[in-house]
Amino acid sequence: MIKLFRQRRAAFQRAEFLSVRDLLQRAGAITVLFLIVQLAGLREFTSVLNGTIGSVAVGWKLSAFLAVIYILLYLAFVILVPVLVLAATLLTIWQRFCRKEEKSSR
Amino acid sequence: MKSRMKRILAGLTALVIATSIWLPCLHLVFARPLSDFRLDPGVSPKARQLAARHLRLWTDPALRQQELNKMRASNAEWDFMGRGYLVWSLANLSLRDPAAKPLYLRTMDEIIAETLRLEKEQGMYFFLMSYARDRHYLMQPAHSLFLDGEIALMLAARRAVEEKPEYKPLLTERVNAMVERFKKSPRLLLESYPDEGWTFDHCVALDAIKMADYLDGSDHAALIRDWLAMAKQKLVDRESGLLISSFATDGTPLAGPEGSSIWMVAHSLQLLDEDFARDQYQRARKELGKITLGFGYAHEWPKSWQGEANIDSGPIIPGFEISAGSSGMAFIGASTFDDGKFLAALAATLDFAGFPSRTGGRLKYCASNQVGDAALLYAATLGPLWQKVRTGGKP
Repeated sequence: MIKLFRQRRAAFQRAEFLSVRDLLQRAGAITVLFLIVQLAGLREFTSVLNGTIGSVAVGWKLSAFLAVIYILLYLAFVILVPVLVLAATLLTIWQRFCRKEEKSSR
Repeated sequence: MKSRMKRILAGLTALVIATSIWLPCLHLVFARPLSDFRLDPGVSPKARQLAARHLRLWTDPALRQQELNKMRASNAEWDFMGRGYLVWSLANLSLRDPAAKPLYLRTMDEIIAETLRLEKEQGMYFFLMSYARDRHYLMQPAHSLFLDGEIALMLAARRAVEEKPEYKPLLTERVNAMVERFKKSPRLLLESYPDEGWTFDHCVALDAIKMADYLDGSDHAALIRDWLAMAKQKLVDRESGLLISSFATDGTPLAGPEGSSIWMVAHSLQLLDEDFARDQYQRARKELGKITLGFGYAHEWPKSWQGEANIDSGPIIPGFEISAGSSGMAFIGASTFDDGKFLAALAATLDFAGFPSRTGGRLKYCASNQVGDAALLYAATLGPLWQKVRTGGKP
């Protein structure tokens, strides 16, 4: 139980910059944030892209603000998250390859 | 320190490689077979879903009012144009799917009746942008070709699907009034706004006149021929060869060639002059249409013309200079001229950046609005109505 807790805590601990874990943590954070704005219904506000107010009740400024937040997180989710996951995979393969090389040279 | 630098360098390299792998593949996530958007013969899944959403709007007054209020906060024209595109789409859908015709005809009649009522009760300014009141129309009594042309085309489209005797005098009256004003205008240029005419509105109005000829046996071929000859001579931008968008009634250009107009203009011209229409489409495709990394989009202006973002272009996304208005209307052009490659690329962009939202078999694009979705529905269904008129099929 304690071991499992430690493992989970480790997953949220700050990882070294641009390490495999760092890349995956960033991808995870973006995914969680995107899911929050998606579930909150911010997608509706993206009508500002064609010059239409997202909600008459909310007003122009807040509609535009919410739309920008949603669009940035959406783009991060569909573009950055796969890149981060792919980069983490490449790094893992690279590190394993290096380790094998080191072992064989010893 | 050395190992830290090594790690960062390795991380950056991995990011660069991952980006260069992912970006060219991104469109594959959103790419669908063309038949998902447009199906010949028949009705594509997207057309069905978009139509279902619009039919829901016309059976749920509260939902419709909510949508209209959002659009009218920006542009009263959109309320009107959304009606036009929907009626024309339903006419094409009726011809594509005869089993559903009664429902489509009922909805078309409802839209036409409400539009005529609003025009009568509130006046033509109800559907125009506020600047229409700033000056007087030069030709009196004041009329907007924008309203007359689109209403006439709504009436004609409905009658082309199935005759409705009450609409015959309404169409004849509106067509005769437009023809009379064309005859009074020395340059064959009529106002949509005070001393401001639009190529888009002229082409739609001439489509309606052509359809009235088809329906009622009148003959306005000479007027259409003269207008086309004038347009080729006076309304074509020298640099791009594209028709300009708007002009004063003396022919002075106001706005140059614009993507938000030209795609629909090319479509409208197809009923009037197939060769000219195709030429305009091909020029627009070359000057405005783009495909990058598998995603299709359109610019608002050709390279030779400098313009500023406006209500028609929508916001211009810097870098790629993507215009939401032009990209949306490009669907109509690509669909009209069977440009499958461009249409499929535009559809991929729509699913990527149009933020589709599906509920109970109904589809809307959150980044769009009612008029935008109605124009997309029109792009997904157009064809049979024009075909019927062009081949002289039985009204």
